Amino acid sequence: MSRHDPLWLRVRSVASVVVVLAAWEAVARAGLVPPLFLPAFSTVVVTLWGVIRDGSLPEDLAISLGRAAGGLTLATLAGVLVGIAMARNRVAHWLLDPFVALGFPSPKIAFLPIFILWFGIGSLSKILLVGFACVFPVAIGTYAAARGINRVLIWSGRSLGASAGVLLGRVVLPACAPRIFAAMRVALPVALITTFTAEMVGGGGGMGATLMYSQRFFESPVVFAYLLVMLAVGLVLDTTMRRLQARSPVLRGDA
Amino acid sequence: MRPAGTVSDAKIEIRGLSKSYSTGHGSLLAIDTVDLTLAEGEFVSIVGPSGCGKSTLLYVVGGFLSADGDVLVDGTPIRGPGTDRGIVFQDYALFPWLTVRRNILFGLERRDVPQAERDAVADRLIGVIGLKGFEHRYPRELSGGMRQRVAIARTMACDPAVLLLDEPFGALDAQTREMMQDELLRIWLDTRKTVLMITHDVSEAVYLSNRICIMSARPGRIVEEFSVDLDRTLPREELVVSEPFNRLRNAVWLSVRRQAVAAAHADPG
Amino acid sequence: MRRLARLAPLAPLARIVPLLLFVAAWHLVGVAGLVDPAFLPPPGRVAVALVDLLRGGQIGDNIAVTLLRAFTGLALGATAGVWIGVMMARSEVFDAYAAPLVGATYSLPKSALVPLFILWFGIGSTTAICATFLACLLPVVVNTHHGVATTPKVLVWSAQAMGFSDREMLGRVFLMHALPDIMTGLRIALGFSFVLAISSEMIAANSGIGKLIFMYGENGTYDYMFAAITSVVAVAFSADRALLAVTHRILRWHDSAVPAADAA
Ligand SMILES: Nc1ncnc2c1ncn2[C@@H]1O[C@H](COP(=O)(O)OP(=O)(O)O)[C@@H](O)[C@H]1O
Ligand SMILES: [Mg+2]
Repeated sequence: MSRHDPLWLRVRSVASVVVVLAAWEAVARAGLVPPLFLPAFSTVVVTLWGVIRDGSLPEDLAISLGRAAGGLTLATLAGVLVGIAMARNRVAHWLLDPFVALGFPSPKIAFLPIFILWFGIGSLSKILLVGFACVFPVAIGTYAAARGINRVLIWSGRSLGASAGVLLGRVVLPACAPRIFAAMRVALPVALITTFTAEMVGGGGGMGATLMYSQRFFESPVVFAYLLVMLAVGLVLDTTMRRLQARSPVLRGDA
Repeated sequence: MRPAGTVSDAKIEIRGLSKSYSTGHGSLLAIDTVDLTLAEGEFVSIVGPSGCGKSTLLYVVGGFLSADGDVLVDGTPIRGPGTDRGIVFQDYALFPWLTVRRNILFGLERRDVPQAERDAVADRLIGVIGLKGFEHRYPRELSGGMRQRVAIARTMACDPAVLLLDEPFGALDAQTREMMQDELLRIWLDTRKTVLMITHDVSEAVYLSNRICIMSARPGRIVEEFSVDLDRTLPREELVVSEPFNRLRNAVWLSVRRQAVAAAHADPG
Repeated sequence: MRRLARLAPLAPLARIVPLLLFVAAWHLVGVAGLVDPAFLPPPGRVAVALVDLLRGGQIGDNIAVTLLRAFTGLALGATAGVWIGVMMARSEVFDAYAAPLVGATYSLPKSALVPLFILWFGIGSTTAICATFLACLLPVVVNTHHGVATTPKVLVWSAQAMGFSDREMLGRVFLMHALPDIMTGLRIALGFSFVLAISSEMIAANSGIGKLIFMYGENGTYDYMFAAITSVVAVAFSADRALLAVTHRILRWHDSAVPAADAA
């Protein structure tokens, strides 16, 4: 078997993960670092099972995912609106473009204290901050897609007597769907990181708040268990969105 | 000029060359036991229907692809690409991040050539290809014809003994193509390099080569050869309307046509 | 048409007008008593606070600390990222080992590591730099990998036919071909570097602009908080534009160098 054989390469990929986990376990077990800094992998797995069984992890996860999903939904609605308005209307473009240009590169997390001031430390401020952080990539993606629509498509729709509303629903939105979805894929990690960070800084429950709380009370196994779950959530959600994109002809752009 | 056939020493020998690609559904035989010998200083063209394996043959001779059979240069089997064989690709393959001048000088970068000599080479070649004033342009700022000339100059700068040309004028308009053919002919008459050229243009092959090999539809095999014995000192206007030129052109055209028709029957759609 | 053409030099001004309108609206809602000034300090007071902070050096000093952390993480992340990306693209074996680790770290929200780093390194620059480093590393890895892996065969073959070895081609061919992708990765990484530096300062730090914003928020001195946030927006925007300008210069040869109408 050649060392470049696909199967052999797959074995190496699995091996690389196994080696990292085994090294982690060995270093922790051998006492090379204090368990406070690095609890053994097996300890973390047991702790993980514990926080799943007592319901605390599922509850935190539900809170955080709810906030991220709420913010992403808001951002998608607002971003699509802004993007299409900017692409189809010159005044809207003139009015909104400076804000998009200024907002896109700025670290939205810096606005967190303003959102806390206005909307409190509960879920509302976090959902709105996530929406604020994610609206820019969605708006820019939608704008680029709507600008790229074949004019002939719109003209032929108009000459067939389609109204503006029908044109939007039947021509513009379907044509933009792949880029909008791609922008949502970009926005998803932004939504997660903003949710977790806002929870770590502002409290109010959720994955981030418990992570911070556990760190303060030196419960290292819980810190690692929560980190593993966050990693898994990011991986699962991104894979799901990629699969969806590959399956659906509308999202792939060849409908 | 030296008529074909009187040269004795073989520059390139291709013996029993076969190449198959592995694809998603099994392997695909691109060329099948090709034998071909090029004498020193000879200009050989290969003509055949598209997809018959012409580029594949050239890539194997260039040493970029491995294959069954032998390719010998000056009697020694090749081992990968080498500076003795310069190649001009179908789509030019210029480095988009280098200006015209630096593209041309790219091959000299790793050789011990004094700066003055480098400048001389660049100036001379830029003059030859008629791109004075364009030295500092990037490839994206050039027309197809200009890019083609830069690609040829870049290969010439390395002064290889063998030139491998893959449909070098395929993408050019008719007028530019004729000018480029005349330029290539002049360079060849000056330097007498050994040239293996791929083309699908029958007139071009007859106009430039000593010998024309016809390739069959895939898997490519050499099915017929034509020797060209025309008076190269004649200007183009006279040569292309002359009776010997057209007799040969028609014969080659008929031969290619037979292969193309066979290809269409074998592979409908 | 001609009247429009004569107005062209005023275009940058036209882009500022909506921002001025926004500030005017912000001022008017305060004057009209529509919102409590405690929740939304009027722009005039924020401007005064900004001048005060600039004079007193609080903004300059803290932004300098934050930038140092952000750029250290960015520089380390970009260097390591290019190296790992090249290795992954050029060696199937290295790719097989690295791909699952890169894939797993890619989707981890990097700020979640801050509590862990605090546990390991304590509160301070090391924690902020480590988080920034990891966040900047991955977009550079992924983009470099893509850029190197998509180098056209004919370019590699052209260089080979001129006698260049794989090692000699690295800087001359592979990295040059990947440069547009690397710059794309760098722009993403630059954004991340600010987010991570400020996030880790907000979570736990004794200095930095993130800490300053958070502190004014806790103290209820909201005009100063708004002023500090404004300065962050200005710095992030300028850094992004500077990188775009540099990218534009070094990619003059690339098709993307055609001036973009509104690069957002
Ligand atoms: N890398 C490859 N993998 C699989 N098949 C290939 C590859 N390159 C070329 N082929 C196939 O081999 C045949 C010959 O290709 P090529 O040499 O490019 O033909 P030509 O230059 O005569 O048009 C074609 O059918 C082509 O589809
Ligand atoms: Mg070809």
